[in-house]
Amino acid sequence: MTITDDPILRRRFGRFGGGSGTGASTSVNYALVGLLVLVTLLAVFARVLSPDDPIQPIGDLNAPPGSPDHLLGTDAIGRDLLSRTLWGIQTSWFAALAVVASGLFIGGLIGVVAGVSGGLIDSLLMRFTDLFLALPGTLVAIAIAASLGANLTNTLIGISVVWWPYYARIVRGEVRSLAARPHVEAAKLAGVGWFRLVFRHILPGVVPTAIVAASLDIGNVVLLLAGLSFIGLGQAEPAPELGADTARALDQLLAQWWVPVVPGIAVLLLSLIANLGGDAIRTLLAGRR
Amino acid sequence: MTAATPVSPVAQVSGLTITLSRRGTATQVIRGLDLQIAPGEILGLVGESGSGKSVLGLALLGLLPTRSQPMIAGSIQVADTDMVRGSAAAIRAVLRHHLGVIFQDPMTSLNPTMRVGAQISEVHGDEAEAIRLLSEVGVSDPELRVRVFPHELSGGLRQRVMAAIAVSGKPSLIIADEPTTALDVTVQAQLLDMLRDLRDELGCSVLFITHDLAVAAQIADRIAVLYAGRLAEIGPARDVLTRPTHPYTVGLLKSRLTLATARAEVLPTMRPEAAGVALRLGGCPYHTRCPLVLDVCRAEVPELTVAPLENADAAPHLRACWRDLADVRGLAAHHEPPVAQSPALARAADQPAVEVTGLEVTFRPKSGARRAAPVLALKGVDLTVEPGEAVSIVGESGSGKSTLLRVIAGILAPTAGTVRVGEAGAQMVFQDAGSSLTPWLTVGELLRERLRPLKLGRAVTTTRIDNTLDRIGLPPEVARVRPPELSGGQRQRVALARATIIAPAVLLCDEPTSALDASLAATVLNLIRELRAELRMTVLFVTHDLAVARLMGDRIVVMTRGTIVETGAMAEVIAAPGHPYTRTLLAAVPELEARR
Repeated sequence: MTITDDPILRRRFGRFGGGSGTGASTSVNYALVGLLVLVTLLAVFARVLSPDDPIQPIGDLNAPPGSPDHLLGTDAIGRDLLSRTLWGIQTSWFAALAVVASGLFIGGLIGVVAGVSGGLIDSLLMRFTDLFLALPGTLVAIAIAASLGANLTNTLIGISVVWWPYYARIVRGEVRSLAARPHVEAAKLAGVGWFRLVFRHILPGVVPTAIVAASLDIGNVVLLLAGLSFIGLGQAEPAPELGADTARALDQLLAQWWVPVVPGIAVLLLSLIANLGGDAIRTLLAGRR
Repeated sequence: MTAATPVSPVAQVSGLTITLSRRGTATQVIRGLDLQIAPGEILGLVGESGSGKSVLGLALLGLLPTRSQPMIAGSIQVADTDMVRGSAAAIRAVLRHHLGVIFQDPMTSLNPTMRVGAQISEVHGDEAEAIRLLSEVGVSDPELRVRVFPHELSGGLRQRVMAAIAVSGKPSLIIADEPTTALDVTVQAQLLDMLRDLRDELGCSVLFITHDLAVAAQIADRIAVLYAGRLAEIGPARDVLTRPTHPYTVGLLKSRLTLATARAEVLPTMRPEAAGVALRLGGCPYHTRCPLVLDVCRAEVPELTVAPLENADAAPHLRACWRDLADVRGLAAHHEPPVAQSPALARAADQPAVEVTGLEVTFRPKSGARRAAPVLALKGVDLTVEPGEAVSIVGESGSGKSTLLRVIAGILAPTAGTVRVGEAGAQMVFQDAGSSLTPWLTVGELLRERLRPLKLGRAVTTTRIDNTLDRIGLPPEVARVRPPELSGGQRQRVALARATIIAPAVLLCDEPTSALDASLAATVLNLIRELRAELRMTVLFVTHDLAVARLMGDRIVVMTRGTIVETGAMAEVIAAPGHPYTRTLLAAVPELEARR
């Protein structure tokens, strides 16, 4: 008897069988997560990497991309676009991380308290959350930022105020489902105290879900921040900021397209990478559990 | 290679090797398998979990999951079609006209959004045909039942609907993968009768995949015993069950618990699989666990040969073993040492370990649109358990036995009545040990948690954990491992270790062995009996299996629909059951003696 292993051809099942979990897609996912890390490194070292001062006009006016001293060109008053974009990426990325972190913290806290206590406290907290979900988040953020005064800090406060309900819901749901699992019952029976039960037997199970939700959310925040900065709710004039730079140079779109487009593309890439990276993290974590 | 059957077989598997990959590692799940299924025969395919029996079933259906990148060598012919290399259209034609399938869980294999009748007549026939098929599989009121959705039916009825779908295309072969495992014993017996009737009426063959030899005994004409992807033996059902020719079959048969298992002896078990994969791949697949192992077993794979049997008229009985038949027979006659008896429990017996009076539990299902009626899970239960006593609670699903246990454990608050448990409290071992252990904590952390209130100090705690693990038969290194890395049997041991690291007033066991293979189950039961003797523990053992109940309790409590219908000394109740329900339960216990 000869053994000739031949793989069943993919075509027969290919249409139905999902490709997840195969070797190739795992490495793609790691590459995407690597890209997330790369962007973060770029943001951390933006000041070291940028060739020129982003605020001082130092070169020709409106030099096109590919000029010898200015890789991405210069803007209407001769500032280096590469440097401005790098600084802008730093601001956008860290601001997005800060908003997501605050959402995760506030929402997580409310979600855990609601999920663990149940009953009346759960109902009250969740109805309060529903109230915030029912408000048009972006408008409320704009209103808060505008009333506090237009600067980056106030914009972040505005967004953070409306950003947590999403996390509260997710965390609360996950806590409820974990609390109903037999291992929590068994731990209670083993005489584990309330505090330990929550922090050792329930919360570690929430972490993967929360990480996935947060990483998928970064892209949204990047876009929203760019949008608010585009309409003037960001840092004041000379500061490099992706949304504001696009807005200010919009009238140059036909004459010197690169001045508004370069920061715009940076926003696009940031949110795209954040979304793909978040998806990759979800796939990788799902494979591990 | 094997004697040709006079009629051409419905399915022919030859030289089949299947390799599946999981997370990058390829494993040979089926290794050089030859098998034929004759027209009209019921072939029982028996093996423990991981033996490859379900993979073989899926391969016959051409449904191996693409995700595990199946590699197939050898051939599978069903109704003269090549199921491995045939065109997709040809395989679909075979699935449509020649194959029927019944899976273990009818809830997940039926479409919840379609009415039952529509699912039955989806491929063949119309509603009238669906009604006819439903009455054929023994569903009463088929005219009404074709209009319902799967969730409105009981587990047994759902499985009958699956059977109706399976026979709707007048198949020549039905593949039934553990169709009765999820069902209560009384329903299981009915379903087996139905399958046999279907075979008699339609003349189709059945490949009946099961882990339970007794279930195979009830229904199969021939039995094939599968171990690690190879056939250990195959032959007429009676022969295999009464005169096994392979040490593995002997082990399986001996570790089966029946109403005749000696109560005073340690339950026979098979050696656990301890060897690494590389060692197991050489030679006979069973050599690492076989009590009769020879040098040749480690080196060479035994071929299937005809066993020289007394009655030569029946179908051939083939075995794959290097040992002489006489040696294997000797193994079957071997007896186990007596079980450790707990020294006379001269405890001050003035306080019962558990005292339950007038217990009632009502569940009020939360429902939005329709207000569901409250469910009475327990209606007035009284139970007193003396210290040191072992009591078995028996009942089918929905009898309230698990609810009773959960109330005693204090996880569930009773609606009415009182529960008193001895000072040391109750500890519980759950049915699914895997889900009862927090997956991200190590075994050591899980055990330490129970010792925390004692404030013993680090060194004492560690010693105590090591000792407990040792008592439970696990090496101390297990303390650093997380539960998902352990096997099912090891997890149940860890659960037992956690429950007994401080001796509880009563150990509550909720079907701790029903998810384990027969041999592993026997090991765990042995362990619980040892622990009971050693720690002088009171044990409340809940099970649906009368054979297990008989071994684990001195006293039996029979429950149905939330009430206790019979209680008494184990031997007396088994010998002369007083309540008709107890008699039904006793009659439904599957025995190796076929009932035909």
